[in-house]
Amino acid sequence: MDSLSNGAAAATIATRTTPITTTPAPPSSKLAHLTESLKLEHQFLRVPFEHYKKSIRADHRVFEKEMSAVISGVTEAADADVSKDDAVHHLSSLVSKLQGLKRKLEGGSRIENLQAQRCRARLDHLESADAENLTDWNNTRLKRILVDYMLRMSYYDTAAKLAESNNIQDLVDIDVFQEAKRVIDALQNKEVAPALAWCADNKSRLKKSKSKFEFQLRLQEFIELVRAENSMRAITYARKYLSPWGATHTKELQRVMATLAFKSNTECARYKVLFEPIQWDFLVDQFKQEFCRLYGMTLEPLLNIYLQAGLSALKTPYCYEDDCTKEDPLSQDNFRKLALPLPYSKQHHSKLVCYITKELMDTENPPQVLPNGYVYSTKALEEMAKKNNGKITCPRTGLICDYLDLVKAYIS
Amino acid sequence: MELTTIKDAFDRVNKKQKLSSSKSQEVIDQVGREIEQALEKIQSADDPTSPFDQKSILTDLVLELNAIDPLHQLEGPQKELNLNLSKYQKLLERFFNPDISKAYRNVDFDLHIVNQILASHFYQEGLFDLGDSILNEAGEPEATVLKSQFLDMHQIIEAARLRNLEPALKWASTNREKLKQNGSKIELKLHQLQFLDVLQKGTRADAVIYARTYLAPFYSLHKKEFQKLMCCLLWAGRIGSAPYPEITSPSHWENLTEELTREFCSVLGHSYGSPLGVAISAGIEGLPTLLKLVSVMSAKKQEWQAMKQLPVPVELGKEFQFHSIFVCPVSRDQGSEENPPMLMPCSHVLCKQSMMKLSKSGTRSFKCPYCPAEISVGQWRQLYF
Repeated sequence: MDSLSNGAAAATIATRTTPITTTPAPPSSKLAHLTESLKLEHQFLRVPFEHYKKSIRADHRVFEKEMSAVISGVTEAADADVSKDDAVHHLSSLVSKLQGLKRKLEGGSRIENLQAQRCRARLDHLESADAENLTDWNNTRLKRILVDYMLRMSYYDTAAKLAESNNIQDLVDIDVFQEAKRVIDALQNKEVAPALAWCADNKSRLKKSKSKFEFQLRLQEFIELVRAENSMRAITYARKYLSPWGATHTKELQRVMATLAFKSNTECARYKVLFEPIQWDFLVDQFKQEFCRLYGMTLEPLLNIYLQAGLSALKTPYCYEDDCTKEDPLSQDNFRKLALPLPYSKQHHSKLVCYITKELMDTENPPQVLPNGYVYSTKALEEMAKKNNGKITCPRTGLICDYLDLVKAYIS
Repeated sequence: MELTTIKDAFDRVNKKQKLSSSKSQEVIDQVGREIEQALEKIQSADDPTSPFDQKSILTDLVLELNAIDPLHQLEGPQKELNLNLSKYQKLLERFFNPDISKAYRNVDFDLHIVNQILASHFYQEGLFDLGDSILNEAGEPEATVLKSQFLDMHQIIEAARLRNLEPALKWASTNREKLKQNGSKIELKLHQLQFLDVLQKGTRADAVIYARTYLAPFYSLHKKEFQKLMCCLLWAGRIGSAPYPEITSPSHWENLTEELTREFCSVLGHSYGSPLGVAISAGIEGLPTLLKLVSVMSAKKQEWQAMKQLPVPVELGKEFQFHSIFVCPVSRDQGSEENPPMLMPCSHVLCKQSMMKLSKSGTRSFKCPYCPAEISVGQWRQLYF
């Protein structure tokens, strides 16, 4: 009976002492940790920068194109014999064209200023991380990671709500993903036009990374023509849009051309699959990959990367036992399932956690051994002894002994 | 930190971009002016029948525009801008890790599980509309049970924050048995706060009635607290000057939310901190080590994807130590049921297998590897952490 009430008392200590577990680590290691974790923030700075760069490039292209048009317009007028009225008309149209260009560039420059501001806001945010007071900053980081995940999964409403309610719009890439949303929505409606327009917009960079996304879009369009039994148009389409890829992607081209011999209801597995709606899902996935690569994002959501790393670092054989503490995320089924294919962590040195206080037992709070071989932290045992006139009760076996019967254990 | 270097580099990009954009405006104006002037000349030409004059004006305009060479004027600023753009990008790649997915193992997380984890994270944080919203957008079934549990918790805590302890007390009495098992004193604490509140605001008689009804049942288990509380009756109306700061301190109210959350989660079988938050923080701390490991391993062409255990330790802070792990200082093996830690009389600890090796399967004494002590057969015993 006595042992029971003492067990309860021991557990009380556990609940009462847990809040104090975070004894401050030496500041230098804190700072080192912070520096290391800031190095993971490449995407955070890169994405708004790519966005900015993209606008700069686009504006310059517009300038070059329109300006050349104006100049060649003037040259044409000078070469041709035109009436005065025509010349006046022609030149005035060029002047208004220039005015249009000017307005366009002014608008572009306003956008670029906003984008530059965003780049700077992110730099400032990284700079504001203070090793001594990281709680808020870390909370914001978690929210950033969640918004990133939701944007990639197309949960735009939740992403926007989370960003707005925390006032972190400048720290997440909602507007960048607006561009992706248009293309993805269209692909889900089996329309390729916006995706093709996107490819045209980013032609040079896609070419550089040897992307075949455009080819895949073209193949799908071709398949749709075959599905509609519009063979003649399909052939014309193939001549125009597929043949340029022939040299580098012969196999795929041949396979898709062979569908002309089959109908969309073919049972031949090799070709049947090309007509299946899942091809559109592949295109969406493919687009997401290309999109992330172009903006310098990781191909996997940040959430998955961090979660995987965290679960690997936390995973021990003990996590899967029934008495795993609730504070360990791996005590929950959902996390256990996610961690299943991940490696276990490795320890080179013993890490002992006191059963009673859940605190780490180290040189400051060394482990002590009861006569029955059970080990608890000095802090917990001292407190228990103080409350019970020097008597110790083992919370797991009920053994009662004297505080003086304890021996130290040296664990390296 | 090197952030100032990066900031400077960005400022240079920004400056060049502004320069280039104002230059293009300038060039547009210049060309526009030339054309407008030519236009004026044509319109004001005296003799409408002479095409020659108009032609020469246009030819002059062409020459003029060629001289301005608008595209060429932009080349310089553009070149400088591009230079700074690529410099900045390289700087980012050098100071930051450009691909943190290198340590990612190609196993797809089950989407439904991740979404459920996110939803319960939001519920636990009290962000109920976000939790609903993500389940809705992801097309997942509603997690009604979980939500209602956390809804109760947040209502109780919100009420307690406004110093209304009714809901909390009701909850504590419903869950009295579980709380007792956990060794929680929260119910007493709530009654104690309520009693002091009555004492402060109401009459002494009210307080006595409250104590008789609600505090008396706690007497047998918590005699000392009970006595102190009753003595507080002497300081009715000026509780602050009672000599029991451990009972009357206003910090009890401040800590109450945290304590209630802790107890509530514990009764529900939940962790106090969001498990997602804990796992992500562990990931952020562990990832730099993993990335280094992967780069070393890929340089040695070793396989990373299939390992059952990481080859090196990933050091995490104290707050992530949830289990006792014994590592034998001799064999570096992790302790297990078959190979448990053993304590020697000199207080050093080895694993059983190492001990067996040193003692030639328990047949002869040996010297402790860490001190001069001579350990005779059978002088060791198993430890339980």
